[in-house]
Amino acid sequence: MRRNSLWVKLLLYQSISMIIMVFSIGFILLNSLNLQNIAYERFQEEHYFQELQTDLSEIQKPLQDYLTGWSSSSLARLLFLMETIREKIPEERPILPDETELMKREVYFLIDAYLARVNNIIEQKRGRKVLEYTANYEESIKLYSHISARINSISLSGFRFQLKEYRGFLDLFRKIQYQNLLLVVIATFFAYALLLQMGQNITTPMFDLSQMAGKLSDGNFDVPDLHFRSINEVEQVASAFNQMKKSIHHYINELKKQKEMEQQIMTERVRNLKMEQLLKRMELYTMQAQMNPHFLFNTINTGVQLAIVEEADKTAEFMENLAKLFRYNIREKKFFVPLRHEVEGLKTYYNILKIRFPKTLKLVLDYDEGLLDRFSCPNMILQPLVENSVLHAFKKKNHTGTIMVRIVYEEPVLVISVKDDGVGISENLVKDLLTPHSRDYQLGPKVMGLENVIQRCYFLYPEHDDAIDIKTTQGEGTEIIIRLHTEVEPCIE
Amino acid sequence: MGKYLKFLTLFLGLVFIGFFIVSVRLLILNPLLLSADQPGDPSRAKSFHYAFFMPSSDYSFFNSLKAGALDASDAMDCAVNFNSINEDMLSFEMASFSGIDGIAVFVYDNSPAVLSELEEISRLGIPIVQIENEAIIGSNAFFIGTNSFDSGKSIGRIALFAEKNAVHIALIYSEKNPGLMSDANLVEIGLKTTMGDRLRELSTGRTSLNPIDAERVVYDLLLRNPDTDIIVLSDMNDTLVAIQAIIDLNLVGQIQIIGFGEDETIREYIRKGVVLGSIVRNPYRIGYSAVMALKEISTIGYTSAYIDTGINILTRAEVERVHNGSLR
Repeated sequence: MRRNSLWVKLLLYQSISMIIMVFSIGFILLNSLNLQNIAYERFQEEHYFQELQTDLSEIQKPLQDYLTGWSSSSLARLLFLMETIREKIPEERPILPDETELMKREVYFLIDAYLARVNNIIEQKRGRKVLEYTANYEESIKLYSHISARINSISLSGFRFQLKEYRGFLDLFRKIQYQNLLLVVIATFFAYALLLQMGQNITTPMFDLSQMAGKLSDGNFDVPDLHFRSINEVEQVASAFNQMKKSIHHYINELKKQKEMEQQIMTERVRNLKMEQLLKRMELYTMQAQMNPHFLFNTINTGVQLAIVEEADKTAEFMENLAKLFRYNIREKKFFVPLRHEVEGLKTYYNILKIRFPKTLKLVLDYDEGLLDRFSCPNMILQPLVENSVLHAFKKKNHTGTIMVRIVYEEPVLVISVKDDGVGISENLVKDLLTPHSRDYQLGPKVMGLENVIQRCYFLYPEHDDAIDIKTTQGEGTEIIIRLHTEVEPCIE
Repeated sequence: MGKYLKFLTLFLGLVFIGFFIVSVRLLILNPLLLSADQPGDPSRAKSFHYAFFMPSSDYSFFNSLKAGALDASDAMDCAVNFNSINEDMLSFEMASFSGIDGIAVFVYDNSPAVLSELEEISRLGIPIVQIENEAIIGSNAFFIGTNSFDSGKSIGRIALFAEKNAVHIALIYSEKNPGLMSDANLVEIGLKTTMGDRLRELSTGRTSLNPIDAERVVYDLLLRNPDTDIIVLSDMNDTLVAIQAIIDLNLVGQIQIIGFGEDETIREYIRKGVVLGSIVRNPYRIGYSAVMALKEISTIGYTSAYIDTGINILTRAEVERVHNGSLR
C-alpha cells in the first residue's frame, strides 16, 4: 500500500483526528486526575497529623493505668503505641523556611521529647521513684498539651492555607475546564478542517478532470495536461487521463493521415482509370482507323503482291508503306517505345501521305541520330500530331504545307516539337486543349488524336505543367512542344 | 477556496498547538502544582532553625523586626519562625524541646517565669539573642538593640529644642518597649547628662501592652503633674495616642511631646510643631542583626555579646528638609 494512497490518507486523517480528540480528552482527564491528586495530597497531610494526635491521646490512658495499677497489659499497650508513633514520625526533618513546616518539625521533636519522657516515667515507676515520676508525669501532660496545641495550630494553619489555596484551586479548575472545552472545540474544528481538506484534495482534481473531459469531448485536445498533488489514486487517474488524451489525439491524427492517404490513393486511382480510359480510347481510335488491322494488313500484303505481279511499282510502294504502318500500330502496345520506333512509324506514315499529297505537303525531320536509341517516348505521339497538322492546318492554304518535326535534348529534358506553317489554332481552342481533364470529362469524338496526346502527357507527367505546350499564331502556323523529363519516372501504374 | 481551507487548517492547527501549550503551561506553572513553590519542597531545606519569641502585637516595630529577620533568613542558610511570648507562654517553655538551633527573644517583662525559662534554655546550651532587653547574663546569651543611655541622651538632645530654660519632663515607659523600661535608670542618666540644669523635674509613667493605654497614662500624669512641659513616649503607638490626648485636652503648644518611632502621622505632627521630635530605632536592622548573630553562633560558635543597632532622632528641621525636598 503506497504512502499517498486514499486508504492510507483516510486512515491517516482519521487517525490524526482520533488522536487529537483522544489526546484532548486524555489531557482533560489527566488534568482532572491531577487536580484530584492535588486535593488529596493536601488533605493527606492533615489526615496524618490527626492520626498522630489520636495515637498520642491513646497513650494517655494506658500510661495512667500503668502508673496507677501496674497493669502489664497497659504497659504493653503503651509500649506498642509508643513504637507505633516512633515509626510514624519521620527521621529526616528538613528545616524548611515556612511557618507551618517549621511547626511540623517542632512537633516531631516535641513528640520525641514526650516519648522520651514517657520512657523515663516508666523507668522511674519501675524504680519506685515516686516523686520523680509524678513530676515527670505532670511535665509530660504539659508537653502533651503543647503537642496537641501545636498539631491544632498546624491543622488550623493548614486549613487556612488550604482555604487560601482552595480559591486558587477553584480558579485553576475553572480555567482548565474552560480551556479544555476550548481545546476540544478547536480540536474538533481542526479535525473537520483536516477532513475537509482531504475531501477537497480528492474532489477538486475530480472536478478538473470532468472539466477536461468536457473539453476533450468537444474535440479540444490542446488543453494542457493536468498536474496536481493529491492522493495516489487521483494522481494515477489524472496521469491516465493525460495519457488517454495524448493517445486519442494521436489516434485521431493517425486517422486523419490515413484518410488523407486514402484520398490520395483514390485520386491516384481515378487518374489511372482516366489513363486506362484514354488508352482504351486510343485503342478504339486505332481500331476505328484500322477496322480490322490484321485483315487489312493481310489484304494490303496481298495488294502489294498483286501490284508487283502487275508491275505497278508506285502502288506496290504505297501498299508496302501502308502495311508497315499497320504493322507498327498493331505491334506497339507499350506505353513507352524507343524513340527510333516512333520516328520510323512517322516516316512510314509520311511516305503514305507523300503519295496522297505529293506536292502540297513537306515533312522536315530534324534530330540527332544518337538520340533515337538513347531515349524512349510515349507510344503514338508523333503520328497523331503530324496527322492533326495534315488534317487541320492546311485546309485554307494554297501553298505547300511544311511540317517540321524537331527532336533535341536539353538536358535533362527531351524536347519534341511538331511545327506547321498552317492556319493556326484559335486561342480558345488552345486553352481548351491545354486544360487537364477532370475525371468526369467525356472526350469528344472529333479531337481524338491531338487531345489524346496532350492528356496523356499530363497524366504521364502530372508534376510538370510544361510537359506539353502549344504555340500558335493565326495564319502563321502552330508549334506543339512536348517536354519529356528524362530524370523523372513517368507516372505509369 | 482550496487555499483558504489550507490556511484555515493551518491556522486551526497552530491555534490548537498554541492553545495546548498555553494549557499545559498553565497547568505546569501553576503554583499549586509547582513543587518548588510548595512549602514542603525538600530542595528549599535550610541548615538552621531559629525561633523568635516576641509580644504578639501588630505594631510596625515588630512587623519591621520580623521583616528584617525573614530577609536575613532568606539571605542566610536558616529558617525562622515567630512565637508569642505573652499569649503562648507554653511555647516558650517548650522551646528547648522543639529542635531549634537558637532563639531570639524580646522580653517585654522580666517576670520570674520568663527569666527562669531563659535560664533553663541557656543551661541546655541553646543560644539566646535578647532583643532590646538584656534579661539574663550568660555565656550563650547575647544582646542586640539600642543603647539605653544613648536613647536617654537623644531624648535630652530633642528636649533642648524646647524654648524653656527649666523643663519638667514626664517619661512614659511602655511594656511594648521593654528594653527601655528595664534600663530606665540608664535612660534617665543619659537624659540628665545631656540636659543638665535645664531639667527641672523628671517624672515617669508606664503603659501596658494595651494599645490605648497611653491616653489613660497621659491623663493621670497631667492630673498629678499639671506643670509638665514635655511628655516623652517610648513606643510609637503610645506616641500617637498621646498626641491625640494632648489635642483633645487643648494643650497643644503648652505641652510638647517627644515621640518614639517614625510614622507619617508623627512626621506631620513634628512639622506642625505638636511633636518636638522623635526617637527612631531601626527594627528591621534589629531583626536582621538578630538572625545574623544566631547564624554566627551556630556556625563559628560565638558572636559579639553586645550589638548596638543605633538610634536616630527626627526633628522639625529634618522633617522640613525632607518635606521641602519631596515638594521640589
